[in-house]
Amino acid sequence: MTKPQNLTFKERVDRASGILYVLPSFSILCLIAVVPIIYTAYLSFTTYDVFSAPVPNGVENYRQLLHDENFRLALLNTVIFTALTVPFQTIIPMILADQLVRSDHPKLSGFVRSTLFIPVVASLILVGMVWQYMLAANGGTFNEMLHFFHLISDDYNINFLGTRTGALFAVAFVSIWKHIGYFLVIFYAGVQDIPRERYEAARVDGANRVQQFIHITMPGLRPITFLVVILGTIWSFQVFDLVYSMTGGGPAGGTTTIVISIFEEGFKNMQMGYASAISMFLFVCVVGISVAQQLIYKRIEK
Amino acid sequence: MIGKIGKFILNFIVAILLILSVLPFILMVLAAFQHTQTLDFKIRWDALTFDNFATLFQYHGFGSAMLLSASVVVIACVMNIIVCSLAAYGFTFKRFPGSEAMFWIYMATMMVPRQVTVIAMFVLFNKLGILGTTISLALPAIDAFGVFLVRQFMQGIPESLLEAAKIDGATDWMIFRKIILPLVKPVLTALTVFTFLATWNDFLWPLVSLGSDESQTVTLAISKLQGAFLTEYGLVMAGTTIAFSVPFIAYVLLQRQFVEGVAASGIKG
Repeated sequence: MTKPQNLTFKERVDRASGILYVLPSFSILCLIAVVPIIYTAYLSFTTYDVFSAPVPNGVENYRQLLHDENFRLALLNTVIFTALTVPFQTIIPMILADQLVRSDHPKLSGFVRSTLFIPVVASLILVGMVWQYMLAANGGTFNEMLHFFHLISDDYNINFLGTRTGALFAVAFVSIWKHIGYFLVIFYAGVQDIPRERYEAARVDGANRVQQFIHITMPGLRPITFLVVILGTIWSFQVFDLVYSMTGGGPAGGTTTIVISIFEEGFKNMQMGYASAISMFLFVCVVGISVAQQLIYKRIEK
Repeated sequence: MIGKIGKFILNFIVAILLILSVLPFILMVLAAFQHTQTLDFKIRWDALTFDNFATLFQYHGFGSAMLLSASVVVIACVMNIIVCSLAAYGFTFKRFPGSEAMFWIYMATMMVPRQVTVIAMFVLFNKLGILGTTISLALPAIDAFGVFLVRQFMQGIPESLLEAAKIDGATDWMIFRKIILPLVKPVLTALTVFTFLATWNDFLWPLVSLGSDESQTVTLAISKLQGAFLTEYGLVMAGTTIAFSVPFIAYVLLQRQFVEGVAASGIKG
């Protein structure tokens, strides 16, 4: 970049006019991101019920957060949900991408990719509703199938969403199902960038497909894998729609996640200050994950 | 050794994944055309009916919900294309004083998830008196990521092209309109697809900002059906079928752009 001192007046005016191009998006970003996050931070130190003005209360909300059993449960559920989803939605698409890119039938692999992408275009809310019906205890598709193959007796139904663990596993399963196609596309692009000669050379040296996958594909995909893991973790921490439509957070808080508790405290209990404190907690988690990503990434690059 | 058995197992798993990824949608559509209280494979061909859809449009405001969702999507897409390409141009070719600091702020906003700010946005928009308006539903579609995406693309345009145009007497605005915009068209298409999908499928923000209001988006309308008609599977599935059909048809028509949009998000890291 040239030093501004060397510019003529006209050139300076020309450069300064750049701000006019940036201004529209900048003002919108201020309105929907910059100001709201600052405001959230402020509200988290107040008691606020929307109807009367926020009353500052120091760190009371955060103290409450530490002792809140429900919040602890929501945090635990979110962490378990993340631990259940991230490994599967990373590994399955990775193996699939390797197979599809190196398949001898490009048409067929294109078909597989397109089909697995269909769940991605559907909204989480409708996906949750359809799966809720499929997993229903009475007349649900899965119970019908189990009856059909005589895997369970005809008068018995499994209530997949009726137990706390079952419901959390079910939501995690649907989340994995929804995201496989998305991450497959990202991995697919990554595998295409790995030079074909490497595989050729490995084959000449007698390496089989599994060895090729472990020694060529996996190292070649490292930066992308890292991105997928981080993206998947951040998404899992933000899960809401799917839980809202499949279980509503139940049974007995078994699937209440961080965002579900933000929604309930903020818009049902009208504890906007407390809900803001939970929001700030989520924000710190997400920023923490992103910053850790940057640090680890730099180390990997070296 | 591992070759044949491994290949068989892998193909088997792929087949299961394929079936699993379309099965829910097939069952959904089948149920939508029947009066049913179950979601199963029993199809009574003689009892196929459009009743569910008629009911949705007649009594559950699906017509106005679709209209609202469509307007939100159109506003969001147009707005996003305009503000993102403008900002990307400013950041790429102008490098005005303070542009680096501003760019840093853009980066920072990408770390703020919508779920975190939903409460503050609700309160602020309420105070501004725009809560629940169509434009306020579209606003969150704007994000720094779009600016990044377009900027990434613009950086590939040689600056000499702009200088040549300047010598020929073109103004900034003309350069942006006549030279830059046509060149970045492919990335704008990807951005549109992304914005469209995110806005049509958005749920938390409409849920919070429309509340018990009469107006509702399609996602909101179907979630209300679920609450009210837990056992009317056919009716609820007709609602989800409507919500699904729009992005699905778009996907079938614009597959390449959908995939490119997602692949481009890999740049993010």
